[in-house]
Order: sequence, then C-alpha cells, then structure tokens
Amino acid sequence: MLAVHHLGSGYKPLQILWDIELSVQEGEWLALLGPNGAGKSTLLKTIVGLLKPFQGEIWYLGKEISALPVHEMVRLGIALVPEGRRLFAGMTVRENLMMGAFSQNDNGKITAQLQRVFDLFPVLKEREKQVVGTLSGGERQMCAIGRALMSRPKLLLVDELSLGLAPVVVDGLLETLVAIKQEGVTLLVVEQDVNTALAYADRGYVLREGRIVKSGEAKQLLEDPSIQKDYLGY
Amino acid sequence: MLYWQVLINGVLLGGLYACAAIGFSVIWGVMNLINLAHGSMIILGAYITYVINSATGLDPFLTIPISGAALFLLGFMVQKYLINHVIEGSVFMTLILTFGLDLLLVNMTLLLFTADFRSITPSYAGLGWEIGTIRVPYTRLGVFFFALALTLILSLLMNRTKLGNAIKATSFDKDAAGLVGVNVFQVYAITFGLGAAMAGMAGSLISVLHSFSPVLGGTFTMKAFVIVVLGGLGSVPGAIVGGLILGITENFASVLLEAGYKDAISFILLVAILVLRPRGILGKQFFAEV
Repeated sequence: MLAVHHLGSGYKPLQILWDIELSVQEGEWLALLGPNGAGKSTLLKTIVGLLKPFQGEIWYLGKEISALPVHEMVRLGIALVPEGRRLFAGMTVRENLMMGAFSQNDNGKITAQLQRVFDLFPVLKEREKQVVGTLSGGERQMCAIGRALMSRPKLLLVDELSLGLAPVVVDGLLETLVAIKQEGVTLLVVEQDVNTALAYADRGYVLREGRIVKSGEAKQLLEDPSIQKDYLGY
Repeated sequence: MLYWQVLINGVLLGGLYACAAIGFSVIWGVMNLINLAHGSMIILGAYITYVINSATGLDPFLTIPISGAALFLLGFMVQKYLINHVIEGSVFMTLILTFGLDLLLVNMTLLLFTADFRSITPSYAGLGWEIGTIRVPYTRLGVFFFALALTLILSLLMNRTKLGNAIKATSFDKDAAGLVGVNVFQVYAITFGLGAAMAGMAGSLISVLHSFSPVLGGTFTMKAFVIVVLGGLGSVPGAIVGGLILGITENFASVLLEAGYKDAISFILLVAILVLRPRGILGKQFFAEV
C-alpha cells in the first residue's frame, strides 16, 4: 500500500533520515519504534508532505506521491494524527471534527462518519460544544484521532499516541485503534512504549539515529533482546 | 448640543475607520503579516472611484463593487506570486516586501494622478438631516451604513462559510489545516485578496467625504494599525470598537484641543492600550498554545 525507498529527509539544511526502506501492507498495523530524536516524527511528516524528501521515493497505491503538497494527501486517503495533537485551539470539538471532513463533499457521508466517530469516542459527543482548550489530554487525543477519521482515511498515521497520557487512557485508545483497524483502515503508529506497541502491531520497524536498524514481525521483535538496547541507544 | 454633534460625527467616522481597518486586521491575524501597503490600497480604491465617477458620472457608492473586485484581484496576485514565496521566512522579509509594494503603489498613483488633492462631490453632497441644531449630511450617513454593511458581510463570510472555516483553521494552525486538506497558500492568497478588497471599498467610501492624494496612504496605514491594536487582532467586533474609539476621540480632540493634537491623540491611545491591555479591548489569544 505504502512503500518508501531510499528516503532521505529532514529540516533544511539538516538531514535527519538516511536511506529509509519501509513498506506498509494493506490492512496491517505497523509500529514505528525508536528512541527520542531517532526521526520517527520526521518520517511521518515526510510521508504526508509536510516535509519534502531530500532523496528517494514514496509510493502509495501505485503512485509516486513525494512531490505532492500536503493538502492533497487527505484526498488520497492518508491522514495524520500529528504529534502534540495540533487541534484548532479556538474551535469547539464539533468544529474541529467538521474541519477533518474539509476534503469531503458528500454531506450524508460526513454526518454518518461524525456519528461513527461519536460511537468510537462517546465522550466527544458529550463535549461536542466545548472549545478544545477545555479538554483533558486524553480527550484531545481522541478529538485529534476523530478529526483524522472524519476524512475516512485508508491509511491512518498516528504520531506519539501515548505522549503525556495515563496508561488507562492509552489502553482505551489502543482498543479503539483495534476497532478502527477491523474496519479495514491500515495503521502506522509511533509509540514510545515498546511492549505496548508490539503487543498490538503486526509488524514493527526500529529507527535509530535516522536509519532503520531492525524490522520484522512484532512477535519476533518482542523476543529480540537487542531491541531494548537499540531503543535506549546504547 | 455641540458635544452631541461631535459625538455623532465621531461615531459616523468610526464606522468608516472600522471598515478601513478590518482588511489590515484580517491579513495580520491570519498570516501574521503586516501589510504596509494597506493605506495605499485604500487610496487606490479612492482613485478607482474618482476615475469612474469623472468619466461616466456613476454615483460613487455604486463603484464599490468595482473597486472591491479590482483590489481583490490585485491582492490575490500579490500574495500568490510575491508574498507566498517569503511568508515562511522571517517577519522582516514580509515587512520589506509590503513596504516595497507601498512605494510602488504610491509612485504609480503619483505618476498617474500627480500629488494634487482630488475630491468627489455627488449632487446630494450639501443635503442632510437636521434635528434641532444637529446636522447629519446624507453622504456621511451613507458612508457609515455602507461601511457597516461591508464589515458585516466580511464577518458573515468568515464565520458562516466553508471558506471562512478554512481561513480560521489556517490562522489557528497552518500545518493542521494542510493535513485536513486546506490548500494553505491558496487560503493566504484569498485572505490577502479579501483584505485588499476591503481596503479598496473603504477607499471608495472615503473619496465621498474627504479629499485625497497618493501621499495620504501612510496616514491610513497608521490609523489601521492603531485601530487594530486598540480593538484586538483579527477580530471584526474588535475593529468596530477600535474604529469607533478612534473616530470619537479624534473628533473630540479636534474640538477641545488645538488642531495639531488630533493625530497625536491616536498615538497616545496606542501607547496607553499597549501598556494597559496589550491584546486589545476585544482581543483573543489568536496564536494560543494548545
């Protein structure tokens, strides 16, 4: 579904990612692991077009997309839940969710999808009219995931799912992602906690200092003693 | 009775000021871009009305759509082909660019129309309402209502339409707006076009009341600056409040103080508000952290 070849990227003139090879199969849950500063967020930002690659190619459903501007990605079915949620601070929960459907034109489908998001996150329905600044951290993350889902993506990229959230809240979010995956959405999730990330994922990639150092089935990675070493960067 | 007359004049002028400043406010609020050519765009609108009026005799109020459309197009092009290239850079780059644009517009209008002051006198210019000793000329009343109507239309556009949502989302977080499918650079171009259109239409209104010359552009930019800082950045009600305060204060200052102090008053207001309430009277934390 998504294939990244020989990708180099970063913040000009600083190159962060080097020679990245990565592929995502349709319907799977892929975990992206690595210590802070490894380049996980940079990789997601490059895939969605917020950063332009220095080298290499990004293929999505048989099309080269690395030159496309960010606003066209969502129309192709790629949605990103960005690091730090990045909600529209002055807008209500409902307005944020409706902005998520900005690229959609069919009002019937938008209403149905809004209902679907409220089913997945009932608390968002309760908070519908509240400005997002008044939400708790977990609710903000739900709102950010909900906003991304409003574009009815085929591929959902989630950056730093659990950052700053209580473990109970993270468990709830992971269960919701399972439900989202069962509907046929492919997931690429950046997650700090190796054990949690690999418990849910089908496959995983480990990034370190801007390069992929390990990849494979989630189960194999879980049993690999060197993972902890890579993760800690020693 | 004199004070009532001064107050009414102040309110009527304030409505015009609000309309003249709102474009500046929106461009600043959405793109964090200070358009130093705003005053020159107002003057350009006044000259468009002047040219059409003297060529065809068309009523100046009816030229508003023409100056609005012309300035929208100019603003859209300027943003799309010039400012969008440097908007990601430092604030100084955009300041220098709009300063250059201001020089260009001023000198272009000087070349075309010379520095002579021009004015437009509609046939009904001398007529007005008289209640007791208070006089309200129809031209001032007309300008006031058109100014409020245009400001209201812009407000509805910003708050009730999909385009308005895209503009607001972009002002809150441009990367997040891009992620949900908003073409941010297109939104920038449209926003600058709208701001320029409001300036141009305000210029048409100003031409009905006051004489104008290319050299007055800077004065209007400074007034817009004061109004926006007074009322609060990027907010339509803020521009109305700021415009009214400036209009009323200027009128009272010109009666109570010596003529020379009129412009000083607006800057005293500016300094006072920056000290007492830096985000403006109705200002929101527009670039709020999440």
